[in-house]
Amino acid sequence: MKSLPVRQFGFLTWVALCVATSAAFANPQTKAPAASGAKVAQTGSANPTFLKAIGNPNAPITMEVFGDFQCPACRGFFEGTTKQVIDDYVIPGKVYLIHRDFPLDMHPYARQAARLANAAAEFGQFEAIERALYDHQDEWSAKGNIDDVIASNFPPAQFKKFQAFESQHISEINASIERDRAMGMQRNVNQTPTVYITAHGKTEALPGGGVDYKLLKSYFDYLLRQ
Amino acid sequence: MATTAIPSETSPRAAAWPGALLVMGRVALGLIFLYAAYAKLHFEGEWHLRDYHFFFAMAIDSYKMLPISAVQIMARVLPWFELALGGLLIAGVAVRWIGSITSGLLLVFIGAMTRAKILGLEINCGCFGNNEKLGTATLIRDSSLLVLALAVTVGAFLVTKRQDKVSS
Repeated sequence: MKSLPVRQFGFLTWVALCVATSAAFANPQTKAPAASGAKVAQTGSANPTFLKAIGNPNAPITMEVFGDFQCPACRGFFEGTTKQVIDDYVIPGKVYLIHRDFPLDMHPYARQAARLANAAAEFGQFEAIERALYDHQDEWSAKGNIDDVIASNFPPAQFKKFQAFESQHISEINASIERDRAMGMQRNVNQTPTVYITAHGKTEALPGGGVDYKLLKSYFDYLLRQ
Repeated sequence: MATTAIPSETSPRAAAWPGALLVMGRVALGLIFLYAAYAKLHFEGEWHLRDYHFFFAMAIDSYKMLPISAVQIMARVLPWFELALGGLLIAGVAVRWIGSITSGLLLVFIGAMTRAKILGLEINCGCFGNNEKLGTATLIRDSSLLVLALAVTVGAFLVTKRQDKVSS
């Protein structure tokens, strides 16, 4: 009679262990996406995904932005539109926001910035590094002193982890950037930022060069009403 | 002695030429306007009759010329206006006035495009769909369309004037 509760307890413990193990090994950004300010992994994943995303992957709308961290139009789009999209749609779980690297050859430090962003993303800090890179674009884009400018936005120990991860995984990060670029070329991206919206199983390209927040909001609201 | 058959000013064959050219010009212009409207309503392989205005509004707004409310109205109306202009040009209805309106509209487009070029805006034209970058080629194309529209308008006025003379 006593063996039944013991067996149940054992079974429950086994289930709990399985859940805990899978949660511990899952990529924090894909399984438990970091909405604004949410804390995720403190150390880089053993199997980096280089997914630079914010929000709930199961959100009804997915917004992909092909961007270049050194491009002034991308900064304008981030400051004027993306920040509000994060507040109004990503945090409430209505939009899943994905950044795709599309560094342009005309911007000599765009790849360097993209590498740092990829490294920070592996520590769940993509949103923070994106904000820092765009907010301080003027300061680093002239001389390429990205680390000097961006370091002050993070605790020193954390920023060192980004740098270490970047140097240890540089070839994988470069390959990831190239994958994003190839995806953009395949979709005929010819300028940055270029935005794709996926909803109800359909993907639409928005006119290149950025979109005003009010217009994007009216489109999102229309899609959410469908 | 054989004489060369030079059509005189009053020969019916010579008189028919301006009219035929006018028909060709207005039909060509009308078809281009119909295509411009079609490209705004049908893209990515399907009709967008319910949501075309979102995409077109974004394209218009990239010119940074109008307030958002005006942009939204223009985005809803312009494709249908282009469709009407194209249809009326092909049908040959009130060609003088439709030609004048078409020329005016093209002038506005060219003005907006020139301003965007001067400001260095890296944007899409929005003329025939969403994926065409604004550049010198698009400016030359729209200028050629303006020349055609002006020719159709002036031609329509001249033909009407000649017909009035003949009838009086």
